[in-house]
Amino acid sequence: MPIEEERRALARGLRRRDPELLDGLIERYQYRLFRYLVYLCGNRETAEDLFQETWVRVLDRGHQYDGKSKFETWLFSIARHLVIDLHRRKRPQSLEALTEAEENPMQVPAGGASALDLAAAQEAEAGLLESLNRLPAILREVLLLRFQEDLKLEEIAVVIAAPMGTVKSRLYRGLEQLRELLEGAKP
Amino acid sequence: MNDDRHATAERLILQEQVEGISAEERQWLSRHLEQCADCALPARRTAEALRSLRAVSIPLPAGLADRAQLRVYWRAEELEERTREAWTMWIACGIAWILGLLTAPLVWRGFEWVGGLAGLPSLVWQTGFVVWWTAPALVAAIVLIARFGAAGQREQMR
Repeated sequence: MPIEEERRALARGLRRRDPELLDGLIERYQYRLFRYLVYLCGNRETAEDLFQETWVRVLDRGHQYDGKSKFETWLFSIARHLVIDLHRRKRPQSLEALTEAEENPMQVPAGGASALDLAAAQEAEAGLLESLNRLPAILREVLLLRFQEDLKLEEIAVVIAAPMGTVKSRLYRGLEQLRELLEGAKP
Repeated sequence: MNDDRHATAERLILQEQVEGISAEERQWLSRHLEQCADCALPARRTAEALRSLRAVSIPLPAGLADRAQLRVYWRAEELEERTREAWTMWIACGIAWILGLLTAPLVWRGFEWVGGLAGLPSLVWQTGFVVWWTAPALVAAIVLIARFGAAGQREQMR
């Protein structure tokens, strides 16, 4: 099925609130959405709550997805709004001020894989995670969208509801800072 | 001039990753990086940073999708129930409106008769008729506004 037709079918299904379609979408996008939320709000528990909220919002506002853009772009912008709403309720601040909210939010948790696997993974990723945690959330976010999600600059602009110039400047700043932080973290 | 070349190289190293560069620029950059160790270092660091960034993985909490699916299922039930209630209410309103319209002439005569019997001025029994006609709609509107207001507040609280 061509991508456009697939998106239109998705939009129709969301308008109908098709439960099977939603179950499939949750399965399919769980990793990407959870990762985005962890990057954005810097806390796994909060990310988990917002993960559920995002899907409830997708159900509620499914009729707003027009099928013209990528589903993930729309999904991420919903998740982003929820993070901003949450932080506005907690403290009157914007996403710009959200940085180093938690200590090492992207840490590998205990449980799940074997202890040896976890230790090895932790060691390999420790430097990067620490560096990422020290980046402001707005820079972490664009780095994720560009280099992990492989979104186009225009799509990132839609997700973060900002002009293209802002997207580019955040990417440049983010990349530069990440590079410096990683260099500083090396033994 | 030499500083300019380093600055250009530095700019292109980042630009290549962020928004892409032309084939000529890439060719120039490769040549420059081969000759300039000072610029080759940040280029290598940038590539390493991106490689690490792409490799990072976030472990998923167990049962994450299951819990979300359950939440979505409950919410879908709730919305369906709400839609059913709304339909029932609109149908009831429609029937009441039609019946009100059909019986209006009879009720008018009834008010007129009672008004005449009691010796009331026309304005009084006519006002009574208007109140009888509009009161149910006003009550329904107040109930609806209160319900939607409460639902909106619940949404905001979530």
